[in-house]
Amino acid sequence: MTPAISVTGISKRFYYPAIPKQATLKEMIVKGWFREARKTNVVDALRDVSFAVEHGQTLGVIGRNGSGKTTLLRVLAGVFQPDSGSVYIDGSLAPLLSLAAGFHPDLTGRENARTELLVLGFTPRQVERHIDDIIDFADIGDFFDAPMRTYSTGMVMRVAFAAATSVDPDVLFLDEVLFVGDESFSTKCLDRITAFKRRGKAIVMVSHSNAAIVEHCDVALWLDRGRVAGFGDPSDITSAYHNAAMEASAQLLA
Amino acid sequence: MRVEASLRGARTHSPRSMQHAASSARSPFAANLFRYRWLVYELISRDLKLRYRGSALGFAWTLLNPLLFMGVYTLVFGVYLKIGIPSYAVFLLSGLLPWAWFSNALMQGTTAILDGRMYVGKTIFPAEVLVLVPVCSNFVNFLFSLPVLVGVIVLFHGSLGLPLFALPAVVLVQMILTTGLLFFVATFNVFYRDLQQLMTYVVMLFFYLTPIFYQLTAVPVALRPFVEASPIAVLIQCYHQIFYANEWPDLASFAYLLLGSLVLFFLGYAFFKRHKESFGEYL
Repeated sequence: MTPAISVTGISKRFYYPAIPKQATLKEMIVKGWFREARKTNVVDALRDVSFAVEHGQTLGVIGRNGSGKTTLLRVLAGVFQPDSGSVYIDGSLAPLLSLAAGFHPDLTGRENARTELLVLGFTPRQVERHIDDIIDFADIGDFFDAPMRTYSTGMVMRVAFAAATSVDPDVLFLDEVLFVGDESFSTKCLDRITAFKRRGKAIVMVSHSNAAIVEHCDVALWLDRGRVAGFGDPSDITSAYHNAAMEASAQLLA
Repeated sequence: MRVEASLRGARTHSPRSMQHAASSARSPFAANLFRYRWLVYELISRDLKLRYRGSALGFAWTLLNPLLFMGVYTLVFGVYLKIGIPSYAVFLLSGLLPWAWFSNALMQGTTAILDGRMYVGKTIFPAEVLVLVPVCSNFVNFLFSLPVLVGVIVLFHGSLGLPLFALPAVVLVQMILTTGLLFFVATFNVFYRDLQQLMTYVVMLFFYLTPIFYQLTAVPVALRPFVEASPIAVLIQCYHQIFYANEWPDLASFAYLLLGSLVLFFLGYAFFKRHKESFGEYL
């Protein structure tokens, strides 16, 4: 059986100007900015990353800030094109959950959810069917038809999670945000995720909480400066990551 | 319960070919538009809804805006400066309405891709939709303000006739022209946001350089060829002919306008397509 996600040797390099953009006019002239500006620094956000996730598996991605987790997620979602290597997704994708950032405060939960589903390419009839599911899952009562600026943070996340998962994708991406809801909603989310896994869907989760990775994931991927530092059993990988982090801070103190 | 067919199914993305099943890189503009027609519709209606949400007069602003504009310009140019054009209000409004559509679409559209960053950077998304929305929503506004124009024409005993049948063609060309321009401007603005600062002045400059509140005859003869070469001037001229002079738009200049708009559109779209793959990284 083909894996749900197979990633083969992807690399992604970013270029940015060697000189900060907010150089003043004087600096530009004095430092010969126009020549300097053409020079660029490079950051290798991903270097030769390969791994595979089977259907029904949950992958946890860990690593320090700036280690390439977000870039990886974006390459998987097709937002960024890798410079080399290839990504193969067996099935449909959910958008990145941070799509909640696209909610407009002056529009109601219903209007925002509808736009999000249309962005994903649904027809109005399909959207109407999903909306009922979203209302049901988000469970925020009359607020669903009130402008989103009147929502609490938790309520926004409820709608965001309900909308992103209602589309029933084959591969789901999750950010940390999942765990911000109240107790009962977290349980509900986890139930839905468990149901996803049972139906053979793959999940990719990014988290800074080692406990969450060990609890929810079947495999873990540790990224260090864009390289795969470890891939395998979540408890092994998280403890290796933990030890490395400890060592790094010990060195810093010494 | 299923994601639409084209979003579904196995797919790969490898760097060289950059093919994504959902990516529009290979599919033509029209096909992509058709697939996302519901989204276009939704974004247009939300753009219109949001424009006046929270204002007491709401939709009435669509009618009030052109009237207020007309009032100010008629006072300044018709009364103070005595520009000497008969039924000046009619002349003015017939050029001002399409100009408002054009300039608002251009201003709003410059940042369209940027403003859509929550979609473009987060999921596979046809960014051409974002470019089209300001053109269409301002077109709807234009349509709704036409009754005001008709009212003013009646008030000043102007005449409307058969040339009105040329209006759909003129409107269509304006749509092509504006969208084509926006493909350039909105794409460029993703990489160099200086453009959005500059656009205010560019639009203002063209407002004064285009015979909207004055006639072409006011331009020195030596400079007229330059004005006549400007597609936007030719376009406004068409509106003046239909609504003010009650005559058919000049066929030769309309053909020139159509051709120019199409060339601009295809060049703009090619430019946009060449750069759309890297939008995600700049947003």
